Amino acid sequence: MLEIHNLHASIAGKEILKGIDLTVPAGQVHAIMGPNGSGKSTLSYVLSGREGYTVTEGSIEWNGEELLGMSPEQRAAAGVFLAMQYPVEIPGVSNMTFLKASLNAVRKARGESELDAMQMLKLLRAKAKAIGLSEDMLKRAVNVGFSGGEKKRNEILQMAVLEPTLCILDETDSGLDIDALKIIADGVNAMRSPKRTMLIITHYQRLLDYIAPDAVHVLAYGKIRKSGGPELAKELEQKGYIEFSGEAA
Amino acid sequence: MTLAAFIERSKREKEGWRYTDLEALLASKKTVIPAKAGIPLGSAAENSSARLLFKNGVFQPKLSTFGSVPSCILMGDLASGYSLTLGEKTCLVSQPIELVFETDQESSEEIPLKFSIDIGDNGRLTLLENYRPTPIPVTVDMDVTLRPRAKLVHGKIAAGGPHLALHKVRAQTGCYYSNFSLLRGSAPARHELDVALEGEESQTSLNGIMLLRGHDHADITARVAHKAPRCTSRQNYRSVLDDASRGVFQGKIAVSPGAQKTDSYQLSRALLLSDKAEMDAKPELEIYADDVKCSHGSSIGDLDENAMFYLRSRGLNEKEAQAVLVEGFISEMLDALQPNEWREIFRREIEAWHDL
Repeated sequence: MLEIHNLHASIAGKEILKGIDLTVPAGQVHAIMGPNGSGKSTLSYVLSGREGYTVTEGSIEWNGEELLGMSPEQRAAAGVFLAMQYPVEIPGVSNMTFLKASLNAVRKARGESELDAMQMLKLLRAKAKAIGLSEDMLKRAVNVGFSGGEKKRNEILQMAVLEPTLCILDETDSGLDIDALKIIADGVNAMRSPKRTMLIITHYQRLLDYIAPDAVHVLAYGKIRKSGGPELAKELEQKGYIEFSGEAA
Repeated sequence: MTLAAFIERSKREKEGWRYTDLEALLASKKTVIPAKAGIPLGSAAENSSARLLFKNGVFQPKLSTFGSVPSCILMGDLASGYSLTLGEKTCLVSQPIELVFETDQESSEEIPLKFSIDIGDNGRLTLLENYRPTPIPVTVDMDVTLRPRAKLVHGKIAAGGPHLALHKVRAQTGCYYSNFSLLRGSAPARHELDVALEGEESQTSLNGIMLLRGHDHADITARVAHKAPRCTSRQNYRSVLDDASRGVFQGKIAVSPGAQKTDSYQLSRALLLSDKAEMDAKPELEIYADDVKCSHGSSIGDLDENAMFYLRSRGLNEKEAQAVLVEGFISEMLDALQPNEWREIFRREIEAWHDL
């Protein structure tokens, strides 16, 4: 279970998150929707431990463990995974090398044995195939020359390989055509499990047609302004975020 | 050229040595010579290449392997200099020659090496100089003559210790000269290339990697003189600097009047892993012809924050993430390295540097 209490965070002295309260029970998929600049990406970075954000107040508990104060790699070991809005290109490092280093680091931190080269190859091939990425994409440098859809699929591949328990998907639908969106959604749906919690951050309702959330929250001006069931997403699609345009109390 | 001659030269040619104060660097005994030698002796002889061993600068034919290369390929001695001559149409590409330099005593003050390499019309040679770590200063004075359509694929590893080298290459018509050099933890090192493209349609490709840490100081000075029309030159260097190390790259492209249709490019990229590390890059273009294509680029930066966070969010700790990014930065260079078997040799040297 993810429990966020009164979370305040600022960047370069400017407060972006102004007291977020959010609880996501294990096994559930919650969507966070909101207008641009509402603090959605900041929330995803603060959850995953990116430097440059100052948490001034509040707590983030993941399965009873306080995440604040942990390094990004400690959070990864604790099961946190952020599928990035803008996956980073790493020239000179093959996707295969990256995935191997990543999985073995996480396994080591979790006290599991590292996989040998053959086990790794078999696993990566199978996972890549399931998400529709060719073996060639494993050999290429991480995200270099990948299309927008390929980059996002690569994020889902990493998620499938690392098997995190808290998955945060930041604008995973941005820049995707409908076919790519379906592939991504299939990949995500395949990972839904009673042990896994998912937070889907999105501007549009579109992705939620394919990944049905258990609950929807509206984030605006650094606070959760409204929470509801899946129907809230449909309502937002019709009315937009105009209702949340003022910095209400 | 002896050590004294190098120092004398550095004082005379001030501009070319402004970032490398040779005398002061040799006097300060700050740098630690790595204990690990990388490839242990004899292990690289897995392929069919000839491996010629030098101990304290003295050629050791009995300890060398020649493969299918005639044992008379190398003539001369330490005092008068060595010569390696390849006759017309002689091809030694499938049997690369590796020159391995080892030292086993601390007593000699310096090892002044002199080489003269002459490749005849249409000759082909693949040559690797491999300098194992040593506290004894090694100086290299190498003259290369490439006769029409000759080809030399030249590699060099300077694995640590004071190393001062001047490689002068004169290429006649239709020649090809490539150089791939690795300077690893050197104290100080100066790797100087002076390539004159004297005949039409010659090509040269100069590449290298500097890996520095501690108080290492390494200087790569590469000059290409385009003296004839339709020649091509490429320079591509990458440096990784940690701790308080200092790297220097001076790249010059000089195009003589009449060297029309010159196509020349130069790139130096440096990655600084520490606030105390310093890189000085001086690209220089001197062009006296009007129908040429010359460009250069240079970048000095630290590790990409986005990439660091990306890797750490995938479970790698800071040190592991840094190692992956550094390896990526260097391995882009290795991907293009020819011949293939050198890739493994260079990779091992780089890994050994990481492990030190």
